[in-house]
Amino acid sequence: MRWLIGAVGVVIGAFGAWFLFSRQDLDQLFSAAEWLVAGVILHDGVIAMITVALGALAVRLVPAPARAPLVVAFVVLGSVTLLAVPVLGRFGARSDNPTLLDRDYTTGWLVLAGITLVAVVVATLVRSRATRGGGHGPSAGRR
Amino acid sequence: MKLVPAEEDFSSRLRSASVTARVGLWLGVCFGICFVTGLISHYAQNHSQPIPFPTSPSWGYRVTQGLHVITGTAAVPLLLVKLWSVYPKLFKRPEKEARKLVLDVLERGSIAVLVASAIFQLASGLANAAQWYPWSFSFRSTHFAMGWIAIGALLVHIAVKLPIIRGALGADLEDTTYDRPSATEPGVLTRRGLLRTTWVAAGVAVLATAGSTVPILRKVSVLGVRSGDGPQDIPINKSAYAAQVTGSATAADYRFTVAYGDHEVSMTRDDLLAMPPSTETLPIACVEGWSASGEWTGVRLRDLLDLVEIPGGSDILVTSLQESGPYKATILQGNFADDDRTLLALALNGEPLAIDHGYPARLIAPNRPGVLQTKWVRRLEVAT
Repeated sequence: MRWLIGAVGVVIGAFGAWFLFSRQDLDQLFSAAEWLVAGVILHDGVIAMITVALGALAVRLVPAPARAPLVVAFVVLGSVTLLAVPVLGRFGARSDNPTLLDRDYTTGWLVLAGITLVAVVVATLVRSRATRGGGHGPSAGRR
Repeated sequence: MKLVPAEEDFSSRLRSASVTARVGLWLGVCFGICFVTGLISHYAQNHSQPIPFPTSPSWGYRVTQGLHVITGTAAVPLLLVKLWSVYPKLFKRPEKEARKLVLDVLERGSIAVLVASAIFQLASGLANAAQWYPWSFSFRSTHFAMGWIAIGALLVHIAVKLPIIRGALGADLEDTTYDRPSATEPGVLTRRGLLRTTWVAAGVAVLATAGSTVPILRKVSVLGVRSGDGPQDIPINKSAYAAQVTGSATAADYRFTVAYGDHEVSMTRDDLLAMPPSTETLPIACVEGWSASGEWTGVRLRDLLDLVEIPGGSDILVTSLQESGPYKATILQGNFADDDRTLLALALNGEPLAIDHGYPARLIAPNRPGVLQTKWVRRLEVAT
């Protein structure tokens, strides 16, 4: 079963590679290769490292009841911000087409961030009250 | 603090196969939907269709392409959390024994292909949805090829990890059978908490963007590429200005021509308006994932083809006033040309067609990618 799945995967991937190489000239392939490599470096070298560093910083600076709410906020707002980069930057906007990228994305993002912030504050207050009520605070974060 | 960490430095028990398998399962579902809907979209745009692409339901392509972009968007948080959960493995020391080293290198190679192609697909897809093209490769063929590569690498990955996937999904979330020895410290969240956070992030990502294709979400999709507004309440992709047809589309000598062999009929827009009108409610559904439904009024395409006795089932070449660009002429397959709902539209939502919607006349057919709904139509003839 495993061998079958693996073999099907190799065939499908090989078809994709053949299609990629057979349809475009060398310059276009270099551009695609740049994007492939840049994506991995951006994730493994930058985004993942920043996440680790922020985690280490948060453990030192953030009071215990606020940590879990902040982590949730970071995952939700961070990933949504990342996927919204093309609209936030309005890079594809065209003056002849007002129907494209026609929202106020900065305000939209600020509203999302505001809702997230309020949720963090409320959750932190609830948690610190629960802790003072005799419970134990959550333990320190680890990377 | 070391600049490059070692695998053992990562101590959180949240970075566990138990979490990875659960997030990976949903990521796999999203990628699967993206792949299948992507193949459908690619096929719908093919000139040659050995198996005719169906004309019904008229909203079919709207749903499949909407799903394509929605599941791709939801995959962003899923992929980030999944990669986070296995990140320590990037720093694993190479195997010492030759045979193990070869297998290790092969597996890492397949994962590198998977990660690179997965990030590539999500990044290029999101940029394309916002019509941002900061690259020189052909988006359509590269995104298509990379989709096959990603799914192929995913299947290899599943084959390699199948025992762990089965074991982890079959066991309790708190199970530690497959954890790295150093992954023992409790995290800020529980494993359940991290999973819920991931689902919430995917949900927020969808709600914040899907309004471009799901009308009831318009108000909440603050990060959608389209608000849904536009001339005659429908957004546009390419303006008359960008297509350089502002002059020719409004010229007094505009003539629409339908030709078959040496038989040709030319008509003004008024002649077209004098023909029996039909009205159809059909969506414009773009490859970029946005869509909107409109009420189109015009002449049934089949009635126009009958003027010069083009036989039923013929593929039709639809030529635009556009003088350049890949879509100045498109092929309309015979089953679409013959469908009663396919119109040469002259009006939209009760008003004469706006120039950016294709005035003087445009093609609108059911279940067809928006990019092939040719605007500013000048000529119909049998495709050779």
